[in-house]
Amino acid sequence: MLANRRLFNTVSFKLALLCALQFLIVLCVLMTINYVVTQRALEEQLQSRVHDDFLDVTQLAKEQDQDSINREISERISEPFFNGVYFFASDSTGQKVAGNLDEVERKNGWQTLSLDADPSAPSEAVPIRGEGQIFPDQSFVFVGKDARQLIMTERTLIFSYLGSALIAGFLALTAGFLLSRGLVRKIDDISTTSQAIIDGNLTKRIPVNGTNDEIDRLSVNLNRLFQNNQKLLDSLKQVTVAIAHDLRTPLTRVRNTLEKLRHQPRLSHTHKSQLDAALSESEQLLQTFGALMRIAQIEAGTRRQGFTRFNLSNMGLRIFAIYQAVAEDAGKILEAEITPEVFCEGDPDLLLQLCVNLVENAIKHTPSGTTIRLKVVAPCQLEVSDDGPGIPDTELGRVTERFYRLDRSRSAPGNGLGLALVAAIAQIHEADFRLSDNEPGLRARLIFSQSAGSMSG
Amino acid sequence: MNILVVEDDRSTMEHICSGLSDKGHTVAAATDGEAGLGLTMSEVFDVIVMDRMLPHMDGVCLLKTIRKAGNRTPVIFLTAIDGLDDRVEGLDAGADDYLVKPFAIVELLSRMNALVRRSASTELRTKLRHGTIEMDLLKREVRREGKLVELHPQEFKLLEYLMRNEGRPVTKSMLLEHVWGFNFDPKTTVVETHLSRLRAKIDLDFKKPLIKTHRGLGYSLVS
Repeated sequence: MLANRRLFNTVSFKLALLCALQFLIVLCVLMTINYVVTQRALEEQLQSRVHDDFLDVTQLAKEQDQDSINREISERISEPFFNGVYFFASDSTGQKVAGNLDEVERKNGWQTLSLDADPSAPSEAVPIRGEGQIFPDQSFVFVGKDARQLIMTERTLIFSYLGSALIAGFLALTAGFLLSRGLVRKIDDISTTSQAIIDGNLTKRIPVNGTNDEIDRLSVNLNRLFQNNQKLLDSLKQVTVAIAHDLRTPLTRVRNTLEKLRHQPRLSHTHKSQLDAALSESEQLLQTFGALMRIAQIEAGTRRQGFTRFNLSNMGLRIFAIYQAVAEDAGKILEAEITPEVFCEGDPDLLLQLCVNLVENAIKHTPSGTTIRLKVVAPCQLEVSDDGPGIPDTELGRVTERFYRLDRSRSAPGNGLGLALVAAIAQIHEADFRLSDNEPGLRARLIFSQSAGSMSG
Repeated sequence: MNILVVEDDRSTMEHICSGLSDKGHTVAAATDGEAGLGLTMSEVFDVIVMDRMLPHMDGVCLLKTIRKAGNRTPVIFLTAIDGLDDRVEGLDAGADDYLVKPFAIVELLSRMNALVRRSASTELRTKLRHGTIEMDLLKREVRREGKLVELHPQEFKLLEYLMRNEGRPVTKSMLLEHVWGFNFDPKTTVVETHLSRLRAKIDLDFKKPLIKTHRGLGYSLVS
């Protein structure tokens, strides 16, 4: 239903409709011309036959008298092959003298009358088309013919034309419909692929069917664009990870030397505290590098083999038990709403870290008095929400980028990798991770795909 | 203690060896897996510290070989900071604990101490005792000088771990791993929060604080 409505909304369908309409208009004009010409020809044919009879009868009138006309008429009526010819003759007073019609209007030229009383078909009036003439002696003669044939033919023509117009219109619409559906499908492919790429599935490509038409060429070019995009992003990631990797060893040495110095005897108090500060800074750096490499490793997807079926509800309860006190000490309220016995397919260690990250983010980045809610819902859904200040809509999509930090939390401790790690963990679980407005506050929701859910039964 | 260190990175090796000898331990060093294996067969060690990545025979393989030979010496596995799977692999192969490089020497020392104690007393116990503190693991009850102290399950778990390590200091990351199962560093005060709650309850009616904080090292029970 929705697909149909979408179809009606496409440019191609509208074009198809317009073409069909134009085609129908042209068809109607042609048919009208055809009809008029045919109708004329048929009428002329009828009139000429009537006229022949009329001439026959009036010729007599010129040569002979009125009586012989009357006689002629009577003879013709009584002929065994009476062929639907109708006559009427009246004298100068208007009195009928001969003929098989009861009454005809006295006038020169063509007229159409309708004969009501036809014994064969009493319900239907017989149309008669005929020619009348008033003679100098005021007598009147009318010769007419049954025009049913003519009208029937006209009707048949109209019906057949209407029928053809209907069929042609239907065919034109169907052709347009099919044409546009094919086109819509191809454009839809492009649209869904782009959406998937926007959602982070960078490896997705538009299917190409090899027809080398405009759409196919567009798809090929877009695929190339996506390929380049992916390459650039990959190399960016590789560079970051490579830098972290290469700097780790010298930094470790620095850290170890600092530790060794710290344990030297006879250090002054100032030296000790300075060395402690340097040690903690170097450890912070190493942790950032570690987090970066951890994300890269998770994204590489080698962890999938560690997937098991585990109880998500228990994990939620465990985190709630640990963090209720932590939240309380920070002046916040942690609430849990956990459906029992929700099972999940995944890496329990990574998902524990994911959930801890979300809860800790909510504790760290909200003012005191905030209520934080941890939810586990069947089938396989995890949610952490708060009623704090939330994240502006424009930044919702960016906070999962590495090192991205909101202005207001730049001064707070942290490396801006927490949500990037969450996103990476969600990605290898093929789970949908979404941040949204909790009105007020922030809602982080992780929905595992149905396939993972059904595996867990 | 007699300790074997198997590590191929000279800088790390030097760091560990000097740190351990400073504390009076005897250290034997090997820079590849095969050399390490040779040493385990000719000498008895109290603890083995080995890296995951080693030339000739890698850590997992070395560990499996040692265990297959019936050697039950406690092993601490060293893994790289990005070695997510190494921890699981190491524990599966028979390691008793693991440490992510780089680490503080005090961390390594604390863990070694905990391991050596653990391997010495592996019998199942239903009651723990330390000084005037008594813990009944079946009834989930804690008494100090015979007086019942009501504890939250999180606090109970924390105290249990401290009691199992008797007076030896345990580091923050040891608590995180063994009490809460966190293999990562949380960004909030998880340890401090539960510890301060435990302290508030257990020290409530007593003058002498039970748990001591060692700056830059960890916590321990006061004997």
